[in-house]
Amino acid sequence: MQDSAVAEFEMSEYWYIKPNFEEKVRDFFAQKREPEVVLELDIPGKDFNIAGKGSSELKNLLKRLGVDSEILRRIAVAGYEAEINVAAHSQGGKMISNVFDNLIYMQFMDNGPGISNIQQAMTPGFSTADDLVRELGFGAGLGLPNIQKNSDALHITSALNSPTLVEIIIFF
Amino acid sequence: MTETKYFHALQILADNCTGCTACVRVCPTEAIRVRDHKANIDPYRCVDCGNCVNVCRFHAIIPLSDPLEIIHKFKYKLAIISSSFFGQFTEDISYQVAKQAVLNLGFDQVAEEAAVTDFMINIIRDYIRKNRDKRPILSSNCPSVVRLIQLKYPSLLPNLFHQEAPMSILTRYFRDKISKEYGLEEKEIGIFLIVPCIAHVTAVHQPEGAYKHLQDGAFSIGMIYGKIRDSLKELQNNPPSIETYPQGLTWALSGVQAELVDCEDIRTLSVNGVENVMEILSRVEDHYLDQYDYIVLRTCTNGCVGGCLNVENPFVAMSRIKKMIKEGQGSDFDTSELYELYQKGEFAVVPLAPRPIMELDKDIKKAIQKMKQINEILTMLPGLDCSACGSPTCYALAEDIVLGKASIDDCVVLLRRHSKDSEEE
Repeated sequence: MQDSAVAEFEMSEYWYIKPNFEEKVRDFFAQKREPEVVLELDIPGKDFNIAGKGSSELKNLLKRLGVDSEILRRIAVAGYEAEINVAAHSQGGKMISNVFDNLIYMQFMDNGPGISNIQQAMTPGFSTADDLVRELGFGAGLGLPNIQKNSDALHITSALNSPTLVEIIIFF
Repeated sequence: MTETKYFHALQILADNCTGCTACVRVCPTEAIRVRDHKANIDPYRCVDCGNCVNVCRFHAIIPLSDPLEIIHKFKYKLAIISSSFFGQFTEDISYQVAKQAVLNLGFDQVAEEAAVTDFMINIIRDYIRKNRDKRPILSSNCPSVVRLIQLKYPSLLPNLFHQEAPMSILTRYFRDKISKEYGLEEKEIGIFLIVPCIAHVTAVHQPEGAYKHLQDGAFSIGMIYGKIRDSLKELQNNPPSIETYPQGLTWALSGVQAELVDCEDIRTLSVNGVENVMEILSRVEDHYLDQYDYIVLRTCTNGCVGGCLNVENPFVAMSRIKKMIKEGQGSDFDTSELYELYQKGEFAVVPLAPRPIMELDKDIKKAIQKMKQINEILTMLPGLDCSACGSPTCYALAEDIVLGKASIDDCVVLLRRHSKDSEEE
């Protein structure tokens, strides 16, 4: 019992990399390139009017760069779900979209309360959404699985009572 | 850019234009700029939505339609009336009277869009069921919606309902029928539409996707309304007996049309107003609305009753049409021949090509460079989106500067700040 209590406060992480993308993702993190364009946006907690603005702005930006429409759709869906997650489950946070000439690297960081069991959170249908969130039609437990389905790489770092960082990479 | 010349059914009267930028701010595709105190429309970007016509207080943006006299060039003259027409009259003027008055303008026959609404609902349902791989199917009747998709949401082009609109279906049916009945050559028959919006005028003069020549002209509902007003009183005293199709008038109302297509296996959504249409198309792009089988999209308020060539308010017109649908007793229009033609694929339209306006450059590296320049300029601009420079927003001005269409000196706010600074020095 004591052991698990301690474990809960340790940072845990979750990695997903689409098959055959391992090398590309490793290269990306190794190269440490500066992004070409950065889009930064605050996401207030429980504000579902604003949540979604970031991914819609990002989609318009990427349309101007001529990114393929199917890839655009995956970026918009993954971005939107992650934004909704921050709004629904955290006390607010921000979305940073780093645009490179061959990929998008999105970061979502919030101010807690953190995810106690990431593996469980990844299970389709599992949700900790409260009544307010469910009343608004969110909280079906498909957010994270949907993000993973549309991403080339997904990295989640979190712990209970700590901020959560969700990183998403999608190649053009 | 492309070499194709794009016609639009509107005209800017430079003498009347004050350069106020009201039109610049309401254009959904940012097609208008004020340069040298006069508004200019980029024909490549314009979708004929009519927002600028509605907002201009100086009668500087004038909708164009054909003069009625052109009908006399033809031996046989047929008018096809858009459904929204019948919502324009006060309730003491009956449907029959309004229709007879149009006939009296010099036509040999008057047909109605409303006559084929039932047929349209059936072929839309058939099309939805035959194209299960595409969801949602998007209505294609509104030419502004179709152009908007070509320009801003080209990935959705395959989702369009790829069949002719009702007035074009009627045109083809009647041209053939009249030619046989009266032994006339096709070119001796003049077929004209009476339309609620400039997008339909543009579509008549520059049809997209049609396999063959359709109409010979388009008249504005407002113009026809003015011409028949005097004869209405006379006709009221002597009510004509003429066939009408009140149940089909639903075509003018986007919401009611969606309800009619909706059935056990088809779920529909109705959207009107250009801002709403754009928001919905953006969500369709991301597959968030795949649960709908069919979406009725109209850029005008409440559907075609909101078109800029109508004379009555769209809500009043809608209420009148709803009353007519409820109270009216319709005639039957024999559509068996139309079904045969549909089965043969006669009403299919050519898939449309995209006309993208969003991309800064075909090459992503160059596009990124341009975007960086835009962002750099944007940090210098005041961010008020006041449009005083003649571009709709600070972002649009920054983009215009990078594309060589404007200069930073066009920013009035910056200019004033600079002149203040130099005064203080």
